[in-house]
Amino acid sequence: MATGVDQAVGMSLVVFSLLLFTYYSVWVIILPFVDSHHVLHKYFLPREYSVILPGIAAVILLLCIGAFTAVIMWKSRKPKKAD
Amino acid sequence: MTKLLEWLFGVSLVGAVWALVTFDLLDLSLPQTYREVAWPMPLYLLVSFGCYSLATVGYRVATFNDCDEAAKELQEQIKEAKEDLRKKGLKM
Repeated sequence: MATGVDQAVGMSLVVFSLLLFTYYSVWVIILPFVDSHHVLHKYFLPREYSVILPGIAAVILLLCIGAFTAVIMWKSRKPKKAD
Repeated sequence: MTKLLEWLFGVSLVGAVWALVTFDLLDLSLPQTYREVAWPMPLYLLVSFGCYSLATVGYRVATFNDCDEAAKELQEQIKEAKEDLRKKGLKM
């Protein structure tokens, strides 16, 4: 078994993804069937955000990947030789 | 029929069913709650696939066995690769 930090990081990833999945599932699938006066609705944002927030997350992810690639390519450019 | 065609056929079938339910193309007048559940479905599947990937990666990180000699060998190879790339002009 991996030790120490590896186990902690791995398990925290698993727990985080389980929480995210449960919250998102309740938000998208269960909430429309729940009576609109139920107290559960207090814990969830309006439904439009269930589409907007993942969209923003995807855009940020693509931006980070693009920025990382750009930085690496910028740092490794060679100056043009004068012929 | 190739695997690609099979997959495309399956995906377009599922997509057609989803579009039918979401945009009410056949005027079936389903109850509003079912339509509200159906329309974010593609995004929901994407998010759950992402969660599954994250959980798998996390679990395998947590249960991976330590292998000391392989770790040392890998560090050596990383050093070699960095030297090689530095000689070829890539700035790290």
